[in-house]
Amino acid sequence: METNKMFSFSSRIKYFIRSSPARMALILSAVLFLVTISVRPSALNSAAIGSIILLASLLSISAAGQTIVLIGGGMDFSVGSVMSAAAILTTYIMNGKDGSFLKVLVLALGMGAIIGLCNGLCVVKVGLPPMIVTMAISNVVTRLQYVFTQGSPGGYASPSFVASVINRIGGVIPYIVFYVLIIFPLVYFLLHRSRFGNQVYMIGSNPVASRLNGVKVNKIVVMTYVISGVLSAFAGMLGAAYIGTARCQVFDDYAFTSLVAVIVGGTSFSGGIGTFAGTIAGSLLMVQLSNMLTTLALAQPIRNILNGLIVLLLLILYNRSKSVRQ
Amino acid sequence: MERVKQYFLQFRRSPAFTGFVLFVIAIILNVIIQGPSSFFNPKSINTLFMSNTPFILIAMAQSLLLISGTLDISIGIQLALVNVIVIMIPQELGVPVYVGWIFGIMAAVTVSILCGVGSSIMRLPSMLVGYAMIFIIRGVNILIMNVPQGSVPKVLYKAYDSLIGGLIPVSLLVIIGVFLLCVIIMRTRFGKHIYAVGGHPRNAFAAGINPVSVQMKAFILKGFIVGVAGICLTLMTASGNPLQGEDYGLRSLSACILGGLGFGGWGSVSSGIFGAGFFVIIQNTVYYFFTLLYKLIPGFTVTSYWQNMVSDVILLLGLLMTIVTAKAQRETLKKGLIKQFKRGEKYGNK
Amino acid sequence: MFELQGINKHFDAVVALENASLTITPGKITALLGSNGSGKSTMVKVLAGLVKPDSGEILFDGQPVHINAGIDSRKLGIGTAFQDLSLVPTMTIMDNMVLGVEPVTKLGLVDRKKALNEVSDLLDRFHIRCNPFDFVQTLAPSTQSMLEIAKAVLMKPRLLLLDEVTASLHSEEIDTLFHILKQLKAEGVAMVYVTHRMQEIFEICDDVNIMRSGKTVIGAPVGELTLDDIVFHMTGQRPDTENKEHETEVSHIENQELVLDVEHISIVPKVKDISFKAYKGEIVGIGGLEGQGQPEFIRALIGDLKFECDSITYLGKKIHFNSPADAVKSGIGFISGERNKEAMFPERTISENIFAGDAAKGKLFSYLFSKQVRKFAQGAVDKYDIKIGQLKNPASSLSGGNQQKLVVARWISMNPSLLLLDDPTKGVDIHSRRDIHNILHKCAEEGMTIIISASDTEELLDISDRIYVFYEGMVSAELSGKNKNAERIVAAMVGMTSQSLLEKEVE
Repeated sequence: METNKMFSFSSRIKYFIRSSPARMALILSAVLFLVTISVRPSALNSAAIGSIILLASLLSISAAGQTIVLIGGGMDFSVGSVMSAAAILTTYIMNGKDGSFLKVLVLALGMGAIIGLCNGLCVVKVGLPPMIVTMAISNVVTRLQYVFTQGSPGGYASPSFVASVINRIGGVIPYIVFYVLIIFPLVYFLLHRSRFGNQVYMIGSNPVASRLNGVKVNKIVVMTYVISGVLSAFAGMLGAAYIGTARCQVFDDYAFTSLVAVIVGGTSFSGGIGTFAGTIAGSLLMVQLSNMLTTLALAQPIRNILNGLIVLLLLILYNRSKSVRQ
Repeated sequence: MERVKQYFLQFRRSPAFTGFVLFVIAIILNVIIQGPSSFFNPKSINTLFMSNTPFILIAMAQSLLLISGTLDISIGIQLALVNVIVIMIPQELGVPVYVGWIFGIMAAVTVSILCGVGSSIMRLPSMLVGYAMIFIIRGVNILIMNVPQGSVPKVLYKAYDSLIGGLIPVSLLVIIGVFLLCVIIMRTRFGKHIYAVGGHPRNAFAAGINPVSVQMKAFILKGFIVGVAGICLTLMTASGNPLQGEDYGLRSLSACILGGLGFGGWGSVSSGIFGAGFFVIIQNTVYYFFTLLYKLIPGFTVTSYWQNMVSDVILLLGLLMTIVTAKAQRETLKKGLIKQFKRGEKYGNK
Repeated sequence: MFELQGINKHFDAVVALENASLTITPGKITALLGSNGSGKSTMVKVLAGLVKPDSGEILFDGQPVHINAGIDSRKLGIGTAFQDLSLVPTMTIMDNMVLGVEPVTKLGLVDRKKALNEVSDLLDRFHIRCNPFDFVQTLAPSTQSMLEIAKAVLMKPRLLLLDEVTASLHSEEIDTLFHILKQLKAEGVAMVYVTHRMQEIFEICDDVNIMRSGKTVIGAPVGELTLDDIVFHMTGQRPDTENKEHETEVSHIENQELVLDVEHISIVPKVKDISFKAYKGEIVGIGGLEGQGQPEFIRALIGDLKFECDSITYLGKKIHFNSPADAVKSGIGFISGERNKEAMFPERTISENIFAGDAAKGKLFSYLFSKQVRKFAQGAVDKYDIKIGQLKNPASSLSGGNQQKLVVARWISMNPSLLLLDDPTKGVDIHSRRDIHNILHKCAEEGMTIIISASDTEELLDISDRIYVFYEGMVSAELSGKNKNAERIVAAMVGMTSQSLLEKEVE
């Protein structure tokens, strides 16, 4: 397969990109960063870098569940709404005081698990595309946020929790990376060191063969959605600490950005391929992209257009499906 | 009479029937809760149609794409694009309003072609193409119109808001017009080919049809409808707003699926209409239901947040319901199979 | 007059056609026969424009033509009824029949009335009692087959290709079809008729063209050949239907325990009535032409297909598996010949693929050390001599034979008590095939019960202790001992058995 690839320049580039999308994402992030600081050298300061790391960490935790679901061949559109809901729950219960972290953790993760369970059951039982099902459920979750808070959520994340997220080591690296360091081995274990992960990859790669091999496909798929719900909820808690106070639908864009981060990190849209490391790299790239567009102080509309164009470009590089003519 | 019966039987087996049933149920509920005199009042019907025509048209356009096997979630923000062009061109260039309309439609068609290039020609995942286009169109909209502004000549928006013969809303006529256009197109070869390409691209290709060309034409048609919808939106709001309508994209998708559309080859434009109609009527019903509750239960007040939630829960249930109807269709298929199989037993094989 | 000469075609390493030829005369029906893998389907696809030959000539009335795509084939007046149907399931009968060639009115709209008339006439002619507005996917398979043929006939072809179209038709539908074919004959249409059924060939065909292993063996008028001749040309063996005294090596089997006992299973639509027994330590072969119900039978056993039966007893207990997961848990393994569709995970590494069986069966969340997985995989690679580059290469980098060995390794390491194989050596090179046979023999010696379905007669004889032959969804022969020979298998494969052979049961 590799033999006749190494001839033309363009095919060499394609091979370089495809063989390790995570590496490609890291390189692109570095490139974007260099562009940013060369145009605006003042951007090279510890606060800014710390900010990038913080946002990238938050995005990668929210995208962790999405990674697992995508590898299994599905898609979770409710990441954003679950995050927002968890954030609101966190600020409400903590209410600016320490001591209720455990309670919040249990409630938020429980909520995420239940929503994930609904997602999973509907996807397997109803037979509608996961995108539609998770989107409809996400709508309901959003409405619940409004009903629960009557439009004005209250409370703040507790000071020590906030500190555990945004305080910086040496003024640069925010503590949130420790959360990432906890999540990473967990996700790594799930995906690469457990039979569960093996089965998820199998289902995404070849659902028919998985079934014939004795995999309980439906059960595993539902579990991927539950895990995604839990991880999104956890990300929501951390997000609450980051922004201090929550409002309804605060993290809704994470639905799409987590999806793009996962795909840009090398996970295939159709399943069977992907790694969490790739997702982290993809998250870094997405945050870097957003940061560059902000720092270059381009007008808002130009930023939007560039964002869309770059996403298109990334799609062209990473994701083409087969033609009818074979 | 026989023809009518045949048409009805045909309709009953078509996927749009499920959407139709849901729609009728919604209307019945609405009439009961709102009260027939209030519901059937021409003025309230007019308002209902006038404010929801853009969404219904968008659902029709989306249904075309779904039938051909693709989709476009940026369809919502394209409405805003048409809106800003229709406002800004007469405003900045001093040309008659109708010129603005033509440019608006052309813009919608152009953007749709671009989406088609990404989805059909370059075979990128259509959802993500739509996602990227949302950003691009957002930016373009703001470049054209940086803050909400503009106006529409009074005679035009009054005309849009009026009733023909005191009974039929102008906006309804627009819907009927676009629907007739779709019906006519579905009766052409192209119309049949859309279904073939969406239903089984490989066999369509084997029959000599070019799937890419068919899908591109579907995108162009969809763009035209979006243009018309954008004009209606402009007449309705009588102003411009560069960042509106974004959620129409995903909602139109749900509406179509509620109406009975699957992904590819199955369903019709009516599915889109019934699904969107269901959406609209349910929201209306929920509003009146709560109004009723206020009257019945003294001191009971609840914010609009509850209303929205109940609407969305009903919509979710409606989506889940599609499996019930799909199961019914699958059951008849299986029964038919077994019947045929057993019949073979009787005659045996040589 | 249509001629194909010297057609060669290979798919990767497999030679599908080798100097194949075919002459089709207008007004005559030419039967195209061949066993599995003979190349007859490929010949049809060449004429239909779906396969481009590597070399060779196609002549129409003496003029060479090039058929590069389906549309070229249609333009030449070739109508094809495909075995796997070219209908769009989500459209109506009427829309399907005129797809691509819809009649139009002056206004550019589809002329519904004209289409309806044409299609109604067509449905009448074919005695299809369906509403033209019915959706194809709601119709029974036999009706869909009739529609597929009708669609080809509607375009008024000069050459009509019928690829195994009677496979799911009922006898009255076949009568109707033959009536129409005779009418077309009288109109001067040339026809190619691909089938397995000998009686049909004698009933309706004028010429016979037999292929074997990609080569054309013989082309002759049907009157010049006897049934024995035809089967001989197809398989290289003379069929044996003599009703010899049934000598069974009953003794050595009776002492073994009955592992699997299937009583009268039926699976819509392919399996009508099959009863089947397998004993411990046995290798039971299932033979037969393609599509006689073998894959369906095996998949029903593993719980992948819905079925009806009087009873299935496995290891003494009555069972009815609802999903493959249940079957696997009870110690049944399944190895499919369709590696890409049903067994391989192409993007995953070799070691992950080998481990897939264990991954599906063991504890869900116990920690898997990468060393442990690697050792497991390496052990399998060594034991079964699977030629790989590195364990971490993707499984798609293996050759077909090694992929199949991988799948075999995956399952055998799970130590199933009953192993089902569905044509596992299809497309596998001879060395790998031998290796797999050796592995299976060893497993049987160690007490595993093996059921293997194979399309190759020699392979069946090589490996099986007992052989069932399936024909038209029923058991046409159960052979063991002296009866276990090629001639009897071949006879049973084409349904040439006397009733008494069907009724015999070893007790």
